[in-house]
Amino acid sequence: MPQSDKALLTRLNEHGVEFVIIGGVCGVLHGVPLVTFDLDVCCPFSPGNLRRIEAAVKDLHPYHRLTPGKLPLEFSDNLVARLKNLYLQTDLGKLDCLSEVKGIGDYHDVFNSSELHNTSHGKFHMLSLDALIAAKEAVGRARDLTAVKLLRAIKERKEGS
Amino acid sequence: MLDEALIEQLNRGYVCPPDAGPAWRAACDYGFDMSLVEDALTQTPEQRLEEHQRALDRALMLNPNINSDAAE
Repeated sequence: MPQSDKALLTRLNEHGVEFVIIGGVCGVLHGVPLVTFDLDVCCPFSPGNLRRIEAAVKDLHPYHRLTPGKLPLEFSDNLVARLKNLYLQTDLGKLDCLSEVKGIGDYHDVFNSSELHNTSHGKFHMLSLDALIAAKEAVGRARDLTAVKLLRAIKERKEGS
Repeated sequence: MLDEALIEQLNRGYVCPPDAGPAWRAACDYGFDMSLVEDALTQTPEQRLEEHQRALDRALMLNPNINSDAAE
């Protein structure tokens, strides 16, 4: 299954989804040379934003990839009201949408800890270097702490230059 | 001229700069090839994403099963 982060990000943007890039791809954007196999974003889980996510991926055969039956992505009002995270598999790869980021807080806090980047395929908010370090330290898994070593080196280099 | 010092330099690979800060040195000591980070820092975020995509495509070509949920 391919993973095209750029195509997924472009789709989210084109459909007006509110989101902030977090996780491994955010690390890549900051300069971490580690390969990651999914796209993690933090977004408000408002009914409107969830419907926009649905619209952005609906023709990509999305399903809840961590459910035993690979449940297709279909929002009911009841589900929309109760969801906190979405772990999706799509034809363009994995897309994980989280309503909170450990070490940072909810979407409002994450957005306030983000920076805007202009690219040829749109404007994207991504966690700042400091916030990404805080988030990865809060999660504390070995692979996150490994990335923190690189993020701290990058921060040091940027502050020194 | 290929003197011993140059050959040693060619064979040695990345050397942590003497003026590197503690975090950079810690990452070097951990075993990261920091030349990759130096290259990345010369790029824009967009270029980094494209480089990452190429690396991802290579990894998936070499091992298509690496993208399974169990591998995450």
